[in-house]
Amino acid sequence: MIRLIQSVAARRELLGILVVRTLKIRYKDSALGFLWTMLGPIFLILIYGLFLRLMRFPLSLTVLVTGIFVWQYLAMCMGDAAHAVIGNANLVKRASFPRLLLPLAMTLANLVNFLLSLVVVAGVLVVKHTHPGPLWLLPVAVLAQFVLCLGLGCLLSALNVFFRDVQHVTGVVTMAWFFLTPVLYDVIEMAGSSSLAALMPFYFLNPMAGILALYRAALLGQALPNTAWLAESLIMAGAIGWFGITVFQRLQARFADEL
Amino acid sequence: MDNDIAIDVEGVSKRFRLRHRGTPSLKSLVLDLFKGRSPAQELWALRDLTFAVRKGRTLGIIGANGAGKSTLLALLAGTMTPTTGRIETQGTVSSLLELGAGFHPDLTGRENVYLAGAIMGLSREQMRRRFDDILAFADIGRFIDEPVKHYSSGMYVRLGFAVAVEVNPDILLVDEVLAVGDVAFQKKCLRRMAEFREQRKTMLIISHDLHTIQSISDEILFLDHGLIKGMGAPQTVIDQYESFSLGQAGTGLRREWGTGEVLLKGAAFANDAGLATTRFAWGDAINIRLDYEVRQAVGPCVFGYAVSDEQGRLVCGSNTQIEGAVVPALAGKGTVDLRLSQLTLATGTYLFSFSVHSADHSANYHRLDHAYAVAVQAPRRFEGCCYLPSEWRFEAGRES
Repeated sequence: MIRLIQSVAARRELLGILVVRTLKIRYKDSALGFLWTMLGPIFLILIYGLFLRLMRFPLSLTVLVTGIFVWQYLAMCMGDAAHAVIGNANLVKRASFPRLLLPLAMTLANLVNFLLSLVVVAGVLVVKHTHPGPLWLLPVAVLAQFVLCLGLGCLLSALNVFFRDVQHVTGVVTMAWFFLTPVLYDVIEMAGSSSLAALMPFYFLNPMAGILALYRAALLGQALPNTAWLAESLIMAGAIGWFGITVFQRLQARFADEL
Repeated sequence: MDNDIAIDVEGVSKRFRLRHRGTPSLKSLVLDLFKGRSPAQELWALRDLTFAVRKGRTLGIIGANGAGKSTLLALLAGTMTPTTGRIETQGTVSSLLELGAGFHPDLTGRENVYLAGAIMGLSREQMRRRFDDILAFADIGRFIDEPVKHYSSGMYVRLGFAVAVEVNPDILLVDEVLAVGDVAFQKKCLRRMAEFREQRKTMLIISHDLHTIQSISDEILFLDHGLIKGMGAPQTVIDQYESFSLGQAGTGLRREWGTGEVLLKGAAFANDAGLATTRFAWGDAINIRLDYEVRQAVGPCVFGYAVSDEQGRLVCGSNTQIEGAVVPALAGKGTVDLRLSQLTLATGTYLFSFSVHSADHSANYHRLDHAYAVAVQAPRRFEGCCYLPSEWRFEAGRES
């Protein structure tokens, strides 16, 4: 793993160019550029906000906004992962460089997007007069989510080289995962309800549950969940990151043969 | 590894798994598991290759399509991993596997140049210093700041070549680059490659243009179906390759048929010195001796020949009837001599057909279609495969 990090660090210039390239291509020929990637989550917020209000669902706008934007980072990575390697077939077949740079650049480009979108979140929080919590939790949450996204990006992009079904399965899985993650509801309230409390240790096996709790603690000043549950989520995020990178490294030697 | 060796290849084999249809899916994988059928067929693109290239040498790689040439270059470039064996290279490797293949259509030429440089491991600063040279070599002017999707294919290739060459690698891999671009650009490339040799850089070149590869290489490696058939001095290996491919030429087109009253037992080719050969040069005479055997008495006969290109397209042909040659009454065994006094065909492989049939064309006694392959080397340049003696004359100064 250390040698892998060294080999990636040695090619950081290429990594930078790949990240910039990804962003440039995403925003090419569009006047509003970055705003377009914001429109997706903004519409989601409008739709869910309206729906939940109509259903008299007790969810505050700030909780919804943080949830949707954080979720969006993961969803973008899941969506882009399928093409991270096969979309660069030319490069893979032509040049030799650490293949890991491809999913890494994808995850980083989406991270840039996400960090920019946090400005929008901050705007909402200011308008709503929300008092943030311990802000040092924010980088912890971002790092954990980055590791999780990288692992998934590696896993999905590598598998998709061999089985193109992966990109279709991903969509369905992402959808199910969305509802298993407290994006549209408040996990703290859930934990308070006695019937669900017993399920909580299992619930936090979903790394996004803990990560989102961290974000909301940092940005909204919500109480942190049980430390053991939180650790569960973070360990899962790390494990998925490690597993994805390992699988990717195992398979990458055969990429050029398959593409 | 010996310090003087740039590329050391030892016992390298490459296996591809071929799947029956397109990209595999989970479904086909699951089906294969249940049916207990092996999910893939194997193809050994390269088998047990061992060779070394010394620093500063140029190695030409020749072989028919599918011989494994491009796979070998991909292994050397590090994009593919050998199934078995070991490859060691000393110094930076730059590959012209597909010119500009790494370019992204939506990025400008300039952005793609920096991307290509980064892929080959050069820093932005190093690339900036080379940028003017790249621009000068590619000769695409203000288009450098246009997205490359708006480039003509020529501009694309020029920029690709310029980048690969100007990054100044220790080892340059060139795959069939000389087949693209116009003549002026090809000359420029060849000049640049000659400069490369003078700088004692190592090059590996794949080309189907035997003439060019012979003139540029120090050594030639001849691959056939993933095996090394020969390696050594250019002239020797190219001769070996030509005789080998002549033996293979036209095998799919070869056809023998007829009613069998008269049989053509064979054709022998010789030059004017009387030496048996199937390789001729521009302006040579070809002497052909046909052996025949009469199995059943027949009336007046006609002997004919035809020359086709490698795809079997007729170039020219004639027979004793057209030429007004008198064919005596045939009986038993005998020979017919045919002399084509001056060869005016372009460089290439040609297939000879011979026939014997009745004078009224009602019966084909024996035909050998595309049965003999002959190689022609012609230094002269002209369009098409057959040259007609041409003279041009102008009258100047006439007033209207």
